[in-house]
Amino acid sequence: MFDFSIVTSSIHAWLSEYLSQGLAIFVECVAVGIGILALYAIIAIIMIYMERKVCAAFQCRIGPVRVGPFGLFQLIADVIKMLIKEIIIISHSDKFLYNLAPYVVIVGSVLAFACLPISQGLEILDFNIGVFFFLAVSSIGVIGILLAGWSSNNKFSLIGAMRSGSQMISYELSIGLSVLTVVALAGTMQFSEIVAMQSSGWLLFKGHIPAVIAFVVYLIAANAECNRGPFDLPEAESELTAGFHTEYSGMHFGLFYVAEFVNLFIVSAFAATVFLGGWMPFHVSGLDGFNRIMDYIPGALWFFGKSFFLVWVLMWIKWTFPRLRVDQILQLEWKYLVPIGLVNLSIMALCAVFGWHF
Amino acid sequence: MSVQNKISQQFPTAQIEEKSDRLIVSINAELLREMAVMLYNDKELRFDFMRSLTGMDWGEAGFGVVYHLESTEDIKRQLELKVVIPDRENPFIDTVSDLWKTALLNEREVYDYFGVIFIGHPDMRRLYLRSEWKGFPLRKDYVRAEGLDMTNEEPDDSTVTWYRDKNGVPRSRRYNLFESGEYVVNIGPQHPATHGVLRFRVSLEGEFLKKLDVHCGYIHRGVEKLCESMTYQQTISLTDRLDYLSSLQNRHALCMCVEKAMGLELSDRIQYIRTIMDELQRINSHLLFFATFCMDLGALTSFFYGFRDREKILDILEETTGGRLTMHYNVIGGVEEDIHPNFVKRVKELLAYLPYALEEYRKVFTENIIAKNRLIGVGHLSREDAISFGATGPTGRGSNWACDVRKRIPYGVYDKVDFKEIVRSECDSYARYLIRMDEIKESMRIIETLIDNIPEGNYREKTKAVIRVPEGSYYTAVEASRGEFGVYLESRGDKSPYRLKFRSTGLPLIAGIDTISRGEKIADLIAIGASLDYVVPDIDR
Amino acid sequence: MENKKTYLGKIASAIESLATGMGITGKEFFTPKVTECYPENRDTLYIFDRFKGVLEMPHDENGNSKCIACGMCQTVCPNDAIVVDSEMVEDEASGKKKKQLVKYEYDLGSCMYCNLCVEICPTDAIRFNTGFENAVFDRSLLNMTLHVAKAGTAKKEETSVLADKPEALEKKEKPDQK
Repeated sequence: MFDFSIVTSSIHAWLSEYLSQGLAIFVECVAVGIGILALYAIIAIIMIYMERKVCAAFQCRIGPVRVGPFGLFQLIADVIKMLIKEIIIISHSDKFLYNLAPYVVIVGSVLAFACLPISQGLEILDFNIGVFFFLAVSSIGVIGILLAGWSSNNKFSLIGAMRSGSQMISYELSIGLSVLTVVALAGTMQFSEIVAMQSSGWLLFKGHIPAVIAFVVYLIAANAECNRGPFDLPEAESELTAGFHTEYSGMHFGLFYVAEFVNLFIVSAFAATVFLGGWMPFHVSGLDGFNRIMDYIPGALWFFGKSFFLVWVLMWIKWTFPRLRVDQILQLEWKYLVPIGLVNLSIMALCAVFGWHF
Repeated sequence: MSVQNKISQQFPTAQIEEKSDRLIVSINAELLREMAVMLYNDKELRFDFMRSLTGMDWGEAGFGVVYHLESTEDIKRQLELKVVIPDRENPFIDTVSDLWKTALLNEREVYDYFGVIFIGHPDMRRLYLRSEWKGFPLRKDYVRAEGLDMTNEEPDDSTVTWYRDKNGVPRSRRYNLFESGEYVVNIGPQHPATHGVLRFRVSLEGEFLKKLDVHCGYIHRGVEKLCESMTYQQTISLTDRLDYLSSLQNRHALCMCVEKAMGLELSDRIQYIRTIMDELQRINSHLLFFATFCMDLGALTSFFYGFRDREKILDILEETTGGRLTMHYNVIGGVEEDIHPNFVKRVKELLAYLPYALEEYRKVFTENIIAKNRLIGVGHLSREDAISFGATGPTGRGSNWACDVRKRIPYGVYDKVDFKEIVRSECDSYARYLIRMDEIKESMRIIETLIDNIPEGNYREKTKAVIRVPEGSYYTAVEASRGEFGVYLESRGDKSPYRLKFRSTGLPLIAGIDTISRGEKIADLIAIGASLDYVVPDIDR
Repeated sequence: MENKKTYLGKIASAIESLATGMGITGKEFFTPKVTECYPENRDTLYIFDRFKGVLEMPHDENGNSKCIACGMCQTVCPNDAIVVDSEMVEDEASGKKKKQLVKYEYDLGSCMYCNLCVEICPTDAIRFNTGFENAVFDRSLLNMTLHVAKAGTAKKEETSVLADKPEALEKKEKPDQK
């Protein structure tokens, strides 16, 4: 397995030769920042293309085909369109908050994105409370959505924002509980260690029943956290036209749009990392030959493969079900997911204590 | 005691005329209130269903309102109540909207068209035209004001109600529909869930609905006014544009009305073709209903499944009629062209295919737990309210009211085929949804029985180039895709109708939406609106 | 205990119903799609022969149509989409006066395809063809001239009107395509 830290440390060594220590780190930070933003944008584009094609396939359509081969350049056309559109500022809005909101959303999203270990040694933020940090920054987005809804001076936006607030804060809980279940099994909150300990088998299999339940609960809650169907109440287009971003146009709308899609990727990638071993290849303990073959596939491929598979599953869910109603969403959370999560956590605690896992 | 005797006993001045299918009673406006209360409350009469309410301008004789009443207890009890308002300067008449709630919007329509003021009506605004419109367009002496007013309409939430003071003089009082502190949201006219340009003013308390006010008229085209200057052949082409998902059925109604009035006998072949076409159209409409219903509830994929299968029916219809939406197929005296040679084969293919599609719908949506939770118990419309609002069609049948015109007053060849009238007693959105799904199956059964037995004969009877309908008034109804579609025709023997009124299938549904959705959530309003399945051009006409 | 069972039972039935739905969409994901790739499939596109597209007036090889300029179609049209311009011409052989068509104008934008004009036509001079690609960028292009008399008989000013609008003449040919 190729360890990416060899590359990073050699770059660091090379930079340190020419620059002072502080300056070298500064240059590295800038490079990493640019890199992560570029990756963020690329993933956003891939996600949007994927959404269109996947959704089309579920709906007996073929999706975009006109611009470029398989409609690939449609995305570029979209990006250009989004960039050159005028940003309209509503005259009776709270202008400062109105302009701030999309950036709050995108900042939360990028911070969470930075936590994900893409391959061995290729991780940007990796410290001992990584999972905790991830959960914390990923919930910054709700502030942006609330700001957007409040400052637009639009009744639909406000209702959308309020729905979003109650929904996202509630589902935070389930995400926390299901992640905690895995942390109880893994015994660490550091992403690199969580991934490393899955070399002998993914946590989903290691933790058997409670881990599977936690995985399902996590997927449901994460879907709700991303405001994706069937939990897309804040922007339920048949009720609130476009919900909290009704009044946004141009790139400001684009930021919400991009953040929504990348958030979907982030939650899938997080699930892939925590439950499905992240960049760790599929290993079966005992079958060394098989494991070695698996190791030839690069970690990044494993990571993106698993993530996009989960993205596909979430899209499948979105494009199958009707939307829930706001009280039903809260009911699902407080009457079903939270109790299940709590019971599941205790079971997992017992399993971890008594070693009833693989 | 017969209805006739009872009325003549109580109201000696009333003129009563007995027709084969109904009783025509003519009275003066002062008697209306007393008469209406008796017709509605009397145990032996109990005319609880108002089929239609039509405004009239009888020239010298004054204005008039024609009420078509029916008793849900006995289908034979049909009454046409003609009320004359002799005073053309101050046309006042008492409201009956407290007895038959369907009059709430219909009386506003009459006010809009003729300027007849209904005393006691809670909300005497115009219904379709803008509030500053000058004059009343369906009056025979109406002259259109010069130029068009292109200014924006000022938002105004106040309305007028009329009452009699202690001397019996009519007086008006203005009041506001919404308080200043209420959180009023506009749903529409441009909104994804109103299926066209319908506007609801909704007062919210958090997510809950406190009050709803309907604004119609955004695509009002004045079809009834247009018809008064057209020949009969020309008027039928406008019916396709009312409820565009029942275009064949609408046209069937008007053609049938004129044919009956002229005493034209049609061959069996015509009746068979018309019936099959009506049922194909019904399946088409219900498939579209399924599609949009799912879309409104957020299940976009099911939307595409519905559309995919509807396309097959459209192809069949297009092959024979030459149109996909506005088909222009029925004509006075038959149908425009004989069925296409491929028709029977293709219909059979469709009938073989549809069960698979329906099974798919069942699995993906009907049985879905989310859909069930969203729909069961939501949007309760009691049987009494359904009758009072005149909410016919699947909506009425979802409220346990057997109101199918095909069974009540059979036309076409519906009396020769065996089919079930689907009625459910849950009274909620889910019942309204399931009824439409089951009706698709019933329609398939009807077509299955008929398709192999289309008799030989003319597909079109000979008519004169200029059609003149004998003097008199005629009312005919068909079961359109979403309820009773009625045509009221008053003829003076000219080549164009004196007055042609279309009983909209959607207007009663819209009238009831405030009652149905009050206290529910916004998301429920969308589900309710979708389950009522109104079509806006049909409401606005 | 009873309560707990229904609680779990509810979850189980919910999951079952959701899984059924996902099964359907999952199956649909892999089935061939129904999208029609218009205009790529233009060559194979089949338009039903009864489809009412654009009104046309067939001409024989000499440029004569069956129209006798009776004006019935103009009278019967609910939307005034048809304007028949005619003149009285003396027939050289018999010396009788006879109506002759000068120009036949048709406004596609006002047409609602009710077929009344085709039905009433005593000589079957007009019919609907199956052309459906009627979108234009300028509404005036929807005003079509289906017939214009040959140079000798036509009035001067009318030919000049047409000369200003060559697209209008072009459009006349267009409906023939499928």
